[in-house]
Amino acid sequence: MHPLSSERLDSGESLPRYYGVDRLVLLPRDPYWLFAYWEISTPTRNRVEHEEGTSWNRLNPVLRVYRYNAEGRMEESFFETQLLPEADNWYIKAGVPDRKYYLQLGCRPHENVFKPILTSNTVTTPRDDLSDVIDENWRLPDWQSRRLYWRISRSSLSSLEMMAPQTRRRHRPPT
Amino acid sequence: MPNGYMALILHAHLPYVRHPEHSRSLEEKWFFEAITECYIPLLRVFQELERDDIYYRVTFSLSPTLMAMMEDSFLQERYGDYLASLQELARKEEQRTKGDSVFSPLARMYRERLDHASHIYNERYGRRLLEAFKELQKTGHVEIITSAATHGYLPLLGLQKEAVYAQLAAGIDYYEQLFGAPPRGIWLPECAYEPGLEEILGELGLHYFITATHGVLYASPRPKYGVYSPLLTPGGLAAFGRDPETSHQVWSANEGYPGDYSYREFYRDIGYDLEMDYIADFLHPAGLRGNTGFKYYRITGPVDYKEPYDRQAALHTAQRHAGNFMFNRGKQVEYYGGLMDRPPLIVAPYDAELFGHWWFEGPQWIDNLCRMMGENRHNVEMVTPEEYLQKGYPLQLCTPNASSWGDKGYHEVWLNGDNDWLYRHLHTCAEKMISLAADYPAASGTLKEALNQAARELLLAQASDWPFIMTAGTMDNYARSKAVSHLERFLKLERQVRQNGIDVSWLRDLEATDNLFPGFDYRLFQSLDDTIAVEKSALKGAGAT
Repeated sequence: MHPLSSERLDSGESLPRYYGVDRLVLLPRDPYWLFAYWEISTPTRNRVEHEEGTSWNRLNPVLRVYRYNAEGRMEESFFETQLLPEADNWYIKAGVPDRKYYLQLGCRPHENVFKPILTSNTVTTPRDDLSDVIDENWRLPDWQSRRLYWRISRSSLSSLEMMAPQTRRRHRPPT
Repeated sequence: MPNGYMALILHAHLPYVRHPEHSRSLEEKWFFEAITECYIPLLRVFQELERDDIYYRVTFSLSPTLMAMMEDSFLQERYGDYLASLQELARKEEQRTKGDSVFSPLARMYRERLDHASHIYNERYGRRLLEAFKELQKTGHVEIITSAATHGYLPLLGLQKEAVYAQLAAGIDYYEQLFGAPPRGIWLPECAYEPGLEEILGELGLHYFITATHGVLYASPRPKYGVYSPLLTPGGLAAFGRDPETSHQVWSANEGYPGDYSYREFYRDIGYDLEMDYIADFLHPAGLRGNTGFKYYRITGPVDYKEPYDRQAALHTAQRHAGNFMFNRGKQVEYYGGLMDRPPLIVAPYDAELFGHWWFEGPQWIDNLCRMMGENRHNVEMVTPEEYLQKGYPLQLCTPNASSWGDKGYHEVWLNGDNDWLYRHLHTCAEKMISLAADYPAASGTLKEALNQAARELLLAQASDWPFIMTAGTMDNYARSKAVSHLERFLKLERQVRQNGIDVSWLRDLEATDNLFPGFDYRLFQSLDDTIAVEKSALKGAGAT
């Protein structure tokens, strides 16, 4: 036995809820959904409240979701999601696979004013279907291509089925 | 030339579950059960194929955390004790079932299996099971590859490329220390991929990686041959996509082979069935019932009533299933071969722990399959991905699609309401680690040891197992406390380094507990912006010495 005890190893720290920084992070979950988490530091929050002359709870925080066009070169459109003032993460139904997105977290002190506070990284949603891009040097005649892809899609297995034994493997039955 | 090829790939992984701080650990038992029920039986299969001079090929991925546990002397000793206690139980069981024509042969089967395991483990390899894998690697018939250091879910760590690089480089480095040469391929944890990853993989000198079916199928441009030929990615290495038909035949909950009624029932175990007085010494000291591995019944049907296990009938089924599997591969290559200018390649990856633990007859199925395919290699020939690449077929240049092999095929298993809170901390701590590596580019002595340990704690927190278990919802307290305690240890070390106040005795305790990857160098976390690739790979070599 090692002379190690849980008490000795315990760091005595507890994981902080926040780290005192400004950050907005965007992660893709699947072809249709994004996940964002954020932290607005106290100085930043104070500055915004000071500039607008009102408290955070009255500033109507929103996430603005920017989408690029299919070529990924320019912003095509955006939409906004109203947030709860105390929220620090959000799932966003972005809706379009294989597109680049980024976010701005801001507030709407007045109806026609969007005041951005944080900007996120950029992510691309996964495709959920065959690519439309065809390399002419690597092209099967259409009837052959249909035959090839038909069989693959026919046998595609819902991954839920695949996970079932895996879940059983890693976890013991209830006692 | 055969009509087609098949690559059988087994991925063996467990998170780093080493608990010297507890006298008995339920989680270490995951590892012990896997050794007894999966790794040793699979090794036996390959050793017998070698002995009988059978033509076969298997690609075996050993995750770095698993290799580290196999190499750890503390766990070696604990497993030795665990195995001895099972052998004792086996002898008790032989006594208990004496004269019973149904159960006594089964008790004898378990006793013989455990005696064989003990022979392999204690005598033949002196408790260093990895030696057996090294031996197989040398035959050229089994290709051993590895995975990211602690099986981090790379797309969700990818906010910092350095974190992804460190996961991969530390894993590759450790493999190289053990096997004397770098791995040629890599198993991406959970088959999770996102575009851009291939650049880091290529930079690390890898030749190939494996993706989920739709990783290759939905690649862009559209792959001409679907998943039946690997792709060349922009990173200069190949991507192999999982064949859905072979996963279905084995994994499908309803139609998959492991559910056959003649196979052994997993859930009827003497750890649950026998009197507490009799079995208590072999269970958790707190009196918790659990699996012992002694299971005497067969699946029988979708009913609670179970009939006794008939070993001969089960082995016969395993043989029939292997024949069926081979027959279907023949049909498959016939179908796809007619559409392709080259023999199709079927990529069949599985969790190694399925074979033997959950599917008791799985190793015999593999044994039968290899023997049958060896005899019929003119039709479908077993290959390793590396061998297939060496055949020199031109590969189509495509970028694979972001994907994983988890439920729904993308990242949701590892990113949902049960585990999403974790990423804020993983990303922040990775950022802190990267800046430590930048601020202390040439630490030595205790400072260097503290930085190395901080990086180890971060790697351990990054394991994909913790968010996976949180989603699955059993043992989720353990997963949460593992992730949190590694993060807290990291944060405290980071603060001590920054404040120049390292608590050396605490550091030594951590080094003795979270002790994986000797020779690991925290500078793998150096910023990729101010370190060019060449410098970093030179560093990688230096870290190993």
